[in-house]
Amino acid sequence: MFFALTDDQREFDSAVRGYLAERFDLDAVRGVVEDSGSDGHPASLWKAAGEQGWLAALVPEEHDGLGLGLVEAQVIARALGAGVAPGPWRATVLAAEAVRLAGSDEQQAAWLPRFAAGGAVGAFTLRGSAPGVLPAVEYGGVADVVVARSGHGLALVEGATATPRGSYDGTARLADLDAGAGTALPGATAEVVEELAARATVLVAADLVGVAREAITRTVAYDRDREQFGVPVGSFQAIKHALADLHVGVTMAEHAALYAAHAVDARLEDAPLAVSVAKAKASDVAVQATGAMIQYHGGIGYTWEHEAHFFYKRAKRLAGQWGDADSHRERIAALTLPE
Amino acid sequence: MDLTYTAAEEEFRDELRAWLRANIPEEWGRPEFWESLGDEESFRVRRDWERDKAEAGFAGIAWPTEYGGRGGTPGMKAIYDEEMVRANAPRTVNALGLTFLAPTVMAIGTDAQKKEIIGPLLRNEVIWCQGFSEPGAGSDLAAISTRGVRDGDDFVVSGQKVWTTNAVHGDKIFAMVRTEPGSQRHRGISMLLIDMHQPGVDARPLKQMSGASEFGEVFFDDAHVPVTECLGEIGEGWRTAMLLLSFERGASGIGQYTEFRRQYDEIAAVAKRLGRHRDPVVRGKLARVLTELECLRLHAMHVLTEVEQGRDLGFEASMTKLQWSETFQDLWEVFDDVLGEDATLDAVDGLDLRPWHAQSMWSRSVTIWGGSSQVQRNVTAERVLGLPR
Repeated sequence: MFFALTDDQREFDSAVRGYLAERFDLDAVRGVVEDSGSDGHPASLWKAAGEQGWLAALVPEEHDGLGLGLVEAQVIARALGAGVAPGPWRATVLAAEAVRLAGSDEQQAAWLPRFAAGGAVGAFTLRGSAPGVLPAVEYGGVADVVVARSGHGLALVEGATATPRGSYDGTARLADLDAGAGTALPGATAEVVEELAARATVLVAADLVGVAREAITRTVAYDRDREQFGVPVGSFQAIKHALADLHVGVTMAEHAALYAAHAVDARLEDAPLAVSVAKAKASDVAVQATGAMIQYHGGIGYTWEHEAHFFYKRAKRLAGQWGDADSHRERIAALTLPE
Repeated sequence: MDLTYTAAEEEFRDELRAWLRANIPEEWGRPEFWESLGDEESFRVRRDWERDKAEAGFAGIAWPTEYGGRGGTPGMKAIYDEEMVRANAPRTVNALGLTFLAPTVMAIGTDAQKKEIIGPLLRNEVIWCQGFSEPGAGSDLAAISTRGVRDGDDFVVSGQKVWTTNAVHGDKIFAMVRTEPGSQRHRGISMLLIDMHQPGVDARPLKQMSGASEFGEVFFDDAHVPVTECLGEIGEGWRTAMLLLSFERGASGIGQYTEFRRQYDEIAAVAKRLGRHRDPVVRGKLARVLTELECLRLHAMHVLTEVEQGRDLGFEASMTKLQWSETFQDLWEVFDDVLGEDATLDAVDGLDLRPWHAQSMWSRSVTIWGGSSQVQRNVTAERVLGLPR
């Protein structure tokens, strides 16, 4: 039995976190949040994603990737969530996954090496259909290519016209895309589309888990020092018990995201259940943890100047992506209750 | 990632399954069967069955062979916990002895204690009680006032223990006793191993809110215990108790998951029978519990991994307890939601609900015993998160 990250996977995690701490900290995030007219796609961060293998993780070695699995990808997603990092990492990884799982040999040869190196930005959505309008696509505005529904399958669409959509989560950018017909991905069966949705769901759940853990860690650190009534507020049981429960909840969500990633990759029988458990749990706990981050910082936590709102707003947006907690619970009910 | 057990572990599973299949009558799977036996007879049947199981080699799974254990792996222990539930095996009658006392004796007992305690415990020749809680010392264990006064080679013990599991069936009790007159809090306590079959000890059943009497109270009125019957050093009982409680840390929760998951499936079947399984609110509540149950399963895999890697889980055990106990309680809350306005009835639609109600009532206790949820949250906040005391 080994249900944990390997040393290599831990190193990958430290590398991403280390980079963000040194080179793209919360001040840099603030720069992106406050410059709402910008494309939310910092060049330095993108360069690192390409150079350090964050984008190459899931791309097969024959296409210049690292040939790793969803477990490694969720490690990266979690680290990026913890850093509330902006940029089209997940969008590009998911577009690449679509090409890997459903693309022709030519499409794979044309796109995968570029995605792996950061030479092309991708986007992926299952909302709307091409040709037509694809609503609120994550980083659709900077994508060189978007993978979208088309008929019963998927298409690769270049040259879509983007109209930015404002969002209170300033750590990402969204855009409506007016997409042409594009070219079909020949392997996009219903099963492949479902697997891509599962992969997207796991990566979003992992981001939420990273956000939630960081929110708790920062709140604990603050409440250890912040004094009221002559004592640290973290010595009050009302706060201790809430943070203890959140710690348990976030730990469970960490387990759930890790297991879901493995279950999808290993095609375990309970993968659909595992994915919904991960997303339902991560969505709820991230909103709770980031809400608690505001509450247990008190007044300062409600200010624009404080970073709590980056975490809360990112959690709120991602909690609703790829199925909110309630919709995944309905899926869990369908999978575990008699007809 | 490797979520499988080794070939040797799977072989152990097959052996255990075969033994359980051959040694558990089918009727034991029905809750009514145990109720029809009554407390006394039910205890005797379980006690004897467990002895036979030990003699067949299916006890002390991960204990060293020198103590009569099987010398198995942590994985085998997890498999054991899982298979026992799957086979409807009766619950152990010596849980406190097996979980807490035996490993403590192995760690710090004298040679004589090792010899006298562990073997008989495995064969259920001695049923052990745990004497920690008192009327004035529940969560605050250091507030105990049961005292032991030195009289030659004996301590003479007076006081009261309460909420003691198996009190009326107990043969011996490992008890926290204040042996230093006038000592305060954690100091001056000894862990005494007291014979319950003597005039100075009176064990009485306590009726629980479920109606059953699995626990009781134990009165000491000049009970005698030789000073050699002390586990750990005299006056160092607090240290012994902390060591003893630490042996809960290796428990993964896989047994609980297996049991609760089956209960979830039973509740789901009841929901269908009553046509409640289509109610979106009921579906949402069931799914919420199932989410927590699946997290418990994954947490059990995590704990097993840590144990196999030789890491001490430390205070993380509080998280295991919180996750299983709170989820179990939620599960039975949802059962009542499934039943709606008929929730308290003895029977609905020809279904005898009483065995389920017994589980539901039992679920109110699990967030109290073994460290209440509030204590576990304090431990998690202070020892794991590092919040100030």
